[in-house]
Amino acid sequence: MPANWGYVLAAYGIAAVALLAYWRHLARRTRALAARRPAKPRAA
Amino acid sequence: MTRALGWLTVLGLVAGLAAGFGYAPREAVQGNVQRIMYLHVPAVLTAYLAFGLVLLGSIGYLASRRAGWDRLAGAAGEIGVLFTGLTIVSGSIWGKPTWGTWWTWDARLTSTAVLFLVYVGYLLLRSLIEEPDARARYAAVVGILGAVNIPIVHFSVKWWRALHQPSTILGPERSPIDPAIGLALFVNWVAFTLLFAYFLSRRMEIARLEEQT
Repeated sequence: MPANWGYVLAAYGIAAVALLAYWRHLARRTRALAARRPAKPRAA
Repeated sequence: MTRALGWLTVLGLVAGLAAGFGYAPREAVQGNVQRIMYLHVPAVLTAYLAFGLVLLGSIGYLASRRAGWDRLAGAAGEIGVLFTGLTIVSGSIWGKPTWGTWWTWDARLTSTAVLFLVYVGYLLLRSLIEEPDARARYAAVVGILGAVNIPIVHFSVKWWRALHQPSTILGPERSPIDPAIGLALFVNWVAFTLLFAYFLSRRMEIARLEEQT
């Protein structure tokens, strides 16, 4: 059986890119929504 | 809390890679390409978990009409689609050197593709309805009906003649997997479950913020 490392790297590489992209999407969305929230009124 | 879970997830994923590439031996028949299993199997188990939570959240919403259940279902559905996509892609890459083809209309592959499309439809439905109560109600119905596909995917290799191998870890018989390979698979499954919990926590927080703005 040949080593087939290329297939292994492709599978893990695609998974890493997809998971990192989703994580970044979540982080950006959270930041955008947090910035849009009205600031809490300050206590006197 | 979410931050700590994030770091725990990173630790789990590093341990998973070390177990899959360092600790687990080279498989005797398939060689190194079998190491895709440490990604492929945890990904599908995470997808099952996600769609199980869609079912739970959908039933919870219809029973109580509380928005928290709908947030759970919506968040889990999105992450479930991501992990089903990873399952299909990693399985296809694994299939090429072992079966000689990227894709075949085998019962397991076809039912997984249907599962993926059903939940893509679920997410599309959620994005098309503006009114929150109607969106949650219709999505809950689709979330419950969609869950019918989960046992079909899992048992497809038993019910129909398939090219895909039968279940080795969630099957009725004792698993024939080598203990070192089994342990590496377990570590990766834990890591993926942690990753799912982390994504779910962040996605539900986004849904909560969206309701407030």
